Amino acid sequence: MSGLLYKNFRANLSSFLFTVIISFICCAIGIVISILGGADMAGDTDSIREAAPVFAALYYCAFLLPSLTSNLLFEADENKTASAFAMSLPQCGKGHIQSKYWYILIQLLTVLFIAFVSDTVIFGILGGAFSAAILLVLIFCWRLLLAAVEIPFVIRFGSQKGIAIKGLVIAFVVVFALIYLMFGNISWLIGSDDPLGALIAWLKSGRIIFFISLFPFLSFGAYLLSCKISIKVFRKGAENYEQ
Amino acid sequence: MSSEKKLTLKRLVIFLIISYLPFMILIPILWAVYKEPLYTGKNEQLAVISYLVGVFGMMIPAAAHLITRLVTNEGFGGTYLGVHFKRRAGYWAASVIIPLLEGIAALILLWALFLKGTAFGDAYPNINMQSVGAYLLQLSFSIIIFFPAFGEEWGWRGYMMPKLFELMPRPAAIVVGGVIWGLWHAPLTVAGHNFGVDYPGYPFAGIGLMCLFCVLMNCILTLVTEKTGSIYPAAFMHMIHNNMNTAALLSLFASEAAIKQAGELSLGETMLADSCFTAIAAAVCFILFIRKDKVQKAAE
Repeated sequence: MSGLLYKNFRANLSSFLFTVIISFICCAIGIVISILGGADMAGDTDSIREAAPVFAALYYCAFLLPSLTSNLLFEADENKTASAFAMSLPQCGKGHIQSKYWYILIQLLTVLFIAFVSDTVIFGILGGAFSAAILLVLIFCWRLLLAAVEIPFVIRFGSQKGIAIKGLVIAFVVVFALIYLMFGNISWLIGSDDPLGALIAWLKSGRIIFFISLFPFLSFGAYLLSCKISIKVFRKGAENYEQ
Repeated sequence: MSSEKKLTLKRLVIFLIISYLPFMILIPILWAVYKEPLYTGKNEQLAVISYLVGVFGMMIPAAAHLITRLVTNEGFGGTYLGVHFKRRAGYWAASVIIPLLEGIAALILLWALFLKGTAFGDAYPNINMQSVGAYLLQLSFSIIIFFPAFGEEWGWRGYMMPKLFELMPRPAAIVVGGVIWGLWHAPLTVAGHNFGVDYPGYPFAGIGLMCLFCVLMNCILTLVTEKTGSIYPAAFMHMIHNNMNTAALLSLFASEAAIKQAGELSLGETMLADSCFTAIAAAVCFILFIRKDKVQKAAE
């Protein structure tokens, strides 16, 4: 397994480094913002509320790249020769697929680590006024869930169809959110002068905390299940690859 | 002493110096600058600094591990960074389940021993869907504590313990390793971490208790690392232990009166409730180490 993982890192070293560099840049921008606005933000709740979406967007950008570059990971082996070679290995297709899943997990964990260090530094600079630790875990789990949905389709039908299906999942979530915003009870949001504050208060109210708490476990479970499904569909998928 | 053992000792000493120095230098400086202990001071800025010291300080042993390997040209064999599940899944599961059970058991023990006269439902009235949700949320957010926990484990269990095993019998290594780990916390303990500064016997009683606690934890964490051949289960265990401790569970489930009562307990009483089940688990692990040592000696 370690050999296959090494092969993935060697073959995708540039994209991995690119991911790390972009994460560093996103986090560095966050640190610079906190340094420049630190005096205003520390102790000022309104300034923090204004800056929070910016930090959130930066962290999301940092996490966006691993999922974009993960397609390269699959595209490189998306031909009959590579899949036949993978199946001829002692670890068989199982090891080949598992190594891909480990690679993506390590990539996401690397970004999480960089973001965590950056968040801790920002927390220090702002005198403890802001921490995005919870947000980081949620973004990490969201990316993990998306990868869990995408990979089996990429392996079974190829990377192009896999990306399309991931897009469908995101669209489904967005549509679901829109339907809730249109027909759900959001009087707490509409009637508020501070929508972000109202959203945070709603999250903290306890009405949905149990369901949010299940999300990280769900995404980890989905990632494991996804790996098992991918191993099952790998052979069928490989038959459809072009020579 | 053979030349191989001398080299191991040299590497261990370098590792310990790098691990110990930052806290020994930083904590007194911060104390001198802010003129109050790092973890009990009233200064808000100090509270933030203490958090930063805690988070980044936990990563020092990992940095020391890395630096020692590079400086002494040791190479990167036997780093415990691999993942092995086959026939070891039980230990991986135990690394998550045991600290969770320990936390819950500590709450029950705290009620049984020290919250006398209070019904269980009155002491812990918040056992409902919302609190369970908050508990699960806190557990899942422990992942962010994974990095500092990994930092400590990769240093202590991933480097120090294998070196100590080369130098002395296993049971002795467990005790010595635990004491070294406990003493590493000494600057923090003096600065009020874990126990505060106003307890009888300050600071030596606190340092002694920390060493005792570290010996207990070292038994469990080393066994898990040895059995899985990987550092991650120990890091998971450490992470959950730090994030889901009794204080955190009390704040989630207990009534204000129960939290107040628990806060008034002495250091020994708190440790008893907190570490009773850790001690039982550690005793089992220690027996396993003694047995393994005997088997190894018989084989030699």
